[in-house]
Amino acid sequence: MKKYDAVVIGAGNGGLVAAVRLLQGGAKTLLVEKHNLPGGFATSFRRGRFEFEASLHELNDFGTADNAGDVRDLFDALGVTDKIEWMQIPEAYRVISRAEKLDATMPFGVKEFIDKMESYVPGSRPSMTKFFDLAEEIRLAQAYSSSVNGKTDSKIMVGQYGNFVRSGSYSVNEVLDALKMPKKAKDILNAYWCYLGAHCDDLSFVHYASMVNRYIRRGASMPKMRSHEISLALVERIRELGGDVLFNTEAVKILTDEKDGGVNGVVLADGTQIQTRHVVANCAPHVVFGRMMDKVPQAEVKATNARKFAGRGMTMFLGLDADADELGIENHNYFLYDTMDTVAQYNNMKTIKDNEVQATVCLNRAYPECSPKGTCMMYFTTLYMSDDWANVKAEDYYKTKDYVANKMIDRFEQDTGAKLRGHIEEISVATPMTYARYCGHPQGVIYGYESQYWDGLMPRLLMMGEDHTIRGLRFAGGYAMRLSGYSSAYFSGDISGRQTVGDIRKEG
Amino acid sequence: MAFVFKKQIFGFMDLLRFKKLVPKRREKLAEGSDAPLPKTYAVNETAKILHPGYQSAKLVSVEQNTADTKTYTFETEKPFYFRAGQYITVGCKIGESEVARPYAVSSAPKAALEKKVAVTVKKCGYFSGYLFDEAKVGDMFVLGDPSGEFCYEPVKDVPHIVALAGGSGITPFYSMAQAIADGTNDFRLTVFYGAKTEQEIIFKKELDALVSDKIKVIYVLSDEEKEGYEHGFIGADLLKKYVSGDFTVMMCGPAAMYAFADRELTAFALPLRRIKKEANCVGARDVEPKTWQLTVHIGFETFTVPADARETVLVAMERAGLKAPSKCRAGGCGFCHSKLLSGKFSLAGADKRRLADGKFGYIHPCCSYPDSDMELIVPKADLPEGM
Repeated sequence: MKKYDAVVIGAGNGGLVAAVRLLQGGAKTLLVEKHNLPGGFATSFRRGRFEFEASLHELNDFGTADNAGDVRDLFDALGVTDKIEWMQIPEAYRVISRAEKLDATMPFGVKEFIDKMESYVPGSRPSMTKFFDLAEEIRLAQAYSSSVNGKTDSKIMVGQYGNFVRSGSYSVNEVLDALKMPKKAKDILNAYWCYLGAHCDDLSFVHYASMVNRYIRRGASMPKMRSHEISLALVERIRELGGDVLFNTEAVKILTDEKDGGVNGVVLADGTQIQTRHVVANCAPHVVFGRMMDKVPQAEVKATNARKFAGRGMTMFLGLDADADELGIENHNYFLYDTMDTVAQYNNMKTIKDNEVQATVCLNRAYPECSPKGTCMMYFTTLYMSDDWANVKAEDYYKTKDYVANKMIDRFEQDTGAKLRGHIEEISVATPMTYARYCGHPQGVIYGYESQYWDGLMPRLLMMGEDHTIRGLRFAGGYAMRLSGYSSAYFSGDISGRQTVGDIRKEG
Repeated sequence: MAFVFKKQIFGFMDLLRFKKLVPKRREKLAEGSDAPLPKTYAVNETAKILHPGYQSAKLVSVEQNTADTKTYTFETEKPFYFRAGQYITVGCKIGESEVARPYAVSSAPKAALEKKVAVTVKKCGYFSGYLFDEAKVGDMFVLGDPSGEFCYEPVKDVPHIVALAGGSGITPFYSMAQAIADGTNDFRLTVFYGAKTEQEIIFKKELDALVSDKIKVIYVLSDEEKEGYEHGFIGADLLKKYVSGDFTVMMCGPAAMYAFADRELTAFALPLRRIKKEANCVGARDVEPKTWQLTVHIGFETFTVPADARETVLVAMERAGLKAPSKCRAGGCGFCHSKLLSGKFSLAGADKRRLADGKFGYIHPCCSYPDSDMELIVPKADLPEGM
């Protein structure tokens, strides 16, 4: 029987990083992935003369060599930064919201951001300055917390990071109101909310501020060859370190020890048994506890049932046969909303009929050479906050896809004045069914468990230790302790990979 | 820190609230239902109908269409669905070899929901020869996932498709015509169907029965002049005679037909977005025969097999009976994506790999010919049990 110190199930962003960390820690590691490519959502695909990015809008917290973010530091430590060619995203975002007749374009850089906000919303400077001060303190507090593996000393926390602790239990809107931020400034600042997929009355301020701060302070990056370049670089690194990687190989069972209920093996789809005492699962606890383990502790069943799925994804990809200037696509990154009342907006996003939200990217505005001269590429993403796609039968599937695609194009044209119709050379649409198929996520969820107030970033990090109840089983990826998104998934792989190395060492 | 954040009147109340985060979550997690977690989900089940992956299928009927064409109808393990115009692979073990070929589906999408799917095959090579001469009702085959983008795309295509079909290239359009007739699709389809002689026309009776205000078929014979048929090749004059207004062209047939059609279509000055071509399988290349050695890592196993310089790396693996994945066999779908550890190769046609694949040394074996000994890591084809 094949024997490994650790098996990583799933080669998504979390699983890839976990595998590198395990190998760096000296563990003999097997990475299995059911798809034929690594990366999970971090991939690309070709259509005609275009190569589309599958999911990455912009990589947060990477920064540049002289203004490095935490993701760059992590990639340096993993030994992959130089395997990838990076470029910088030119500006933060343009947010357009119909109800408020809002149309604002925001830059990167804290000073630039605050100045621009002041020009849109005179008098917003004091609250915006406080916001970034607070956000920076949160970043430092999180760095401290990570450095002690979540086992923080409350005296240090209260003494050095008091503002973090005092704001740490509130929602985005509760804190912004306490900072007396003018409504319009709040509306503009809250534009990123759909990246986290919970509305601002529920979403933890710490989580949101931490993300916004990292974007604005460090800028955002993209690998030139799409996120497929990152995924292949990580696989390359795993193989350099002597790890085994098997694609088209689904892990179907995690075997447990009769005595302690902990991990003692993994069964692959073809029946092959792998002996191991450690698994990092880069997939949903719903999947692991629902069908991969025969004996699941009742507490895990209850805990898993208690959690709420976050957004189910949908993305339309367009290859256009004219350049961005000609089509009137001015920006790299758009957020189009009906309203900045995020609770109302969240509720509209429950049905296929009512959801008109989109986060849209024209990659050529960051990287003009990403498609042939005289063309450009766009991708339009939205989230569904319920399982409305579960009501779509196979025979109605393609019509439903077309219905949403047409709505997205119309909306973009109406809100921005750009002209896309008549120039679409390639189109591809990924729905919750597509995400369910490629990554196996329940209901086509792309954001893991929702960052609800009680299950947000802070409580998850604080409970990292006690959430680990089954010996040898840790989680990475969008369902794990750092929540979803590229950088979060990488960090979760880093944490679970290193913790598993620690577990292995303790066993001797 | 320049300011002290405070939400409540007294800062300690904010601290207390922070302290409650953990007990609160603990409580919520303990309140969850103790019902068993679901084994699957509605969206995931629909995804399995849209993308069944490899499945085994029983050959249930064989119908001879012309002297060298037969239609094979299979009953599949499970219901599935596809878009008219897509292909599936049909494969089986022949002697010691694992062989599979992509064929456009010639039956209607709705039939697949009833577990029925048909492909129409012209006898022209190794696998089609096997199907033609050996396959019999009751035999088991492996069918692949319905794939390909050779479909009417309502968001971008003109709702009038001008189809140029050569020989067995009629099959995807026959599927489309059925899909229009049964209400699955809604567009106008004008088919120009080129064949050498009347005898070689496949589905004449069936196509004629489908003709309506939406479906029109013009038969074009190159080697025969006959009443009721156009004569010659499918060219600009013929298109102008039967077609007016805007249209999107879709073509399926041999490479020579594409070259001719491309020249003829210049008269219409159509942009790229208005022309779609179904890719043809990569065949053998014309070089001196030479045998290279191929070292292949699949799963936990390593195989050393011969590779004929004239054939693709995929064919070498299939001949050796290795379970290598394949789908389009034209370099485009990326299903055979494999890591090249060493060795040289030549690409058949344009490089359709992702940019990073070139950078990190990944190849598509279906369109790569060996130019030296080679070593590859190949993902295993996840075939159904026993196949």
